[in-house]
Amino acid sequence: MAPRIGVGKASLVGFAMLATASWAYILFGGDSGLADLFRTQTWREVWDFVRRLFGAGSPGTPALFDAQSWRTAAGLSVETLAMSVLAMVIAGVGALLTFIPASRNVAFGDLSSSRSPVSAAVFFVIRALYVFTRGVPELVWAMLIVFVLSPGIVPGAVALGIHNFGILGKLSSEVVEGLDHRPMRALRASGAGNFQMLAYGILPQALPQLLTYLLYRWEVVIRTSIVVGFVAAGGLGREFRLRMSWLHYDDVLLLLVCYLILVLAVDLASAGLRRLAR
Amino acid sequence: MSPSVNYRFIEGRWLLTLVLLAAVAWSLFFVPWNSDVVHSGGAAAALEILRALFSPELSPSFLLVAVEASWKTISFAAAGITLAVAIGFPLGVVASGTLVSSPMKRWTSIAVVRLTLAVLRSVHELVWAWLLVLALGLSPIAAVLALGIPYGGILGRVFSEILNDVPEGPLRSLRSAGASELKVLAYGRLPMALPQMLSYAIYRFECGLRSAAILSFVGIAGLGYQVQLSLDDLLYSEVWTLLLFLVGLVVLVDVWSGLVRKSLTT
Repeated sequence: MAPRIGVGKASLVGFAMLATASWAYILFGGDSGLADLFRTQTWREVWDFVRRLFGAGSPGTPALFDAQSWRTAAGLSVETLAMSVLAMVIAGVGALLTFIPASRNVAFGDLSSSRSPVSAAVFFVIRALYVFTRGVPELVWAMLIVFVLSPGIVPGAVALGIHNFGILGKLSSEVVEGLDHRPMRALRASGAGNFQMLAYGILPQALPQLLTYLLYRWEVVIRTSIVVGFVAAGGLGREFRLRMSWLHYDDVLLLLVCYLILVLAVDLASAGLRRLAR
Repeated sequence: MSPSVNYRFIEGRWLLTLVLLAAVAWSLFFVPWNSDVVHSGGAAAALEILRALFSPELSPSFLLVAVEASWKTISFAAAGITLAVAIGFPLGVVASGTLVSSPMKRWTSIAVVRLTLAVLRSVHELVWAWLLVLALGLSPIAAVLALGIPYGGILGRVFSEILNDVPEGPLRSLRSAGASELKVLAYGRLPMALPQMLSYAIYRFECGLRSAAILSFVGIAGLGYQVQLSLDDLLYSEVWTLLLFLVGLVVLVDVWSGLVRKSLTT
């Protein structure tokens, strides 16, 4: 009981101190911009920006009411959707290939047939890979990958895939670590080999959970797809960046609306598919 | 388990498998297989980037740059999370529908707040940052708002779910002792939900570190900004040093949240 209060309280106090120091640094460490929030000039500019989002000051019909603009944006949305699916394919295949040797109970514990230094080394290498790939944000991966891959949806998908590979791999190996060991011991006792253990012991228990995580991450990935599109030059993100720099704010609003629809659609699709996985 | 239930279970799995395979096949059509996916010189660049990973820039002067950038990123993340809690906590309490007892008011307030939370969190923090920088100018407060708004939307939803999942037993005994809904919240729901809420907020802080680092894309200082400067000069070994700092921070917070979670479950 005693340490339970200890860690919780210490965390609260520690975070409060960190937050205070951070706010102090932001507010007093230079021009924070907080004073601007209370100036009418700022809010006039905000209002102006909002009006331009709805097409004020631009010639022709605002993009939101223009069929041709909608067609272009719809095409980009489909491209973005494909980018997110491709990213999940990369992340899912990567995690599927690595998550079993990256589980502690497979590498060291009950489930391993041989406790060799090789399996221990494999465990640490894969785990380190997970930590590193998920520690680096998608956008930074994208910045690196555009040095290697041609612009388009592929570098975006690879960047999203690498980051989510680390997350999915960690989550799914934790699923294996939390599995009920009894059915697997029974399998082993009745003479199952490694492959049979995998096919009848681990996968039937772990796969549904892995799929659920995959679908959850898909919801996050579709949100991030616009951001990697900024640098990878694919889908909605590329067009958003261009329109922003051309100051075509009415097009920006249309792209944001498409983005919101896409996010919502993926949330619904993921919820439906998760129900099937259960 | 009755046979019919079992049958539907299998059918669902098959359908899911089919849908997933179709999605994979569909997405592969978008890859431009015939043209150059890897651009000329791409392989050489990849090799150079990989080689730099094994010789990160460790000169004292650059480490100092990295430490300063790390602190900026940490401070944006911490300030952003406090703002997110300030937004997400009250909205989460309303969205859980535990305060209002008349059904009509309850459902309207839940619907309105949930929709607001959904819009806040649907837009990625970097998109928020871009819009805010355009509207408010390039300032630390824009960065904090850009993190706080979408994270507030996420925290609000998760907090409301945690508040709803609290076991009913103790709440009923509070009600039977004559406590109002506000008191049930203050003495029943909150104390029971608080540890889980704290653990989730720390997890979000870890995500906030990564998010704060990429806000640099719109010109806000921090680790990501330095990464961009180094990338512009093609100094990959500096890039890796900065990324190792970021990964180190993330791991540190991950260990911390692991400790909190462990102390909650045992």
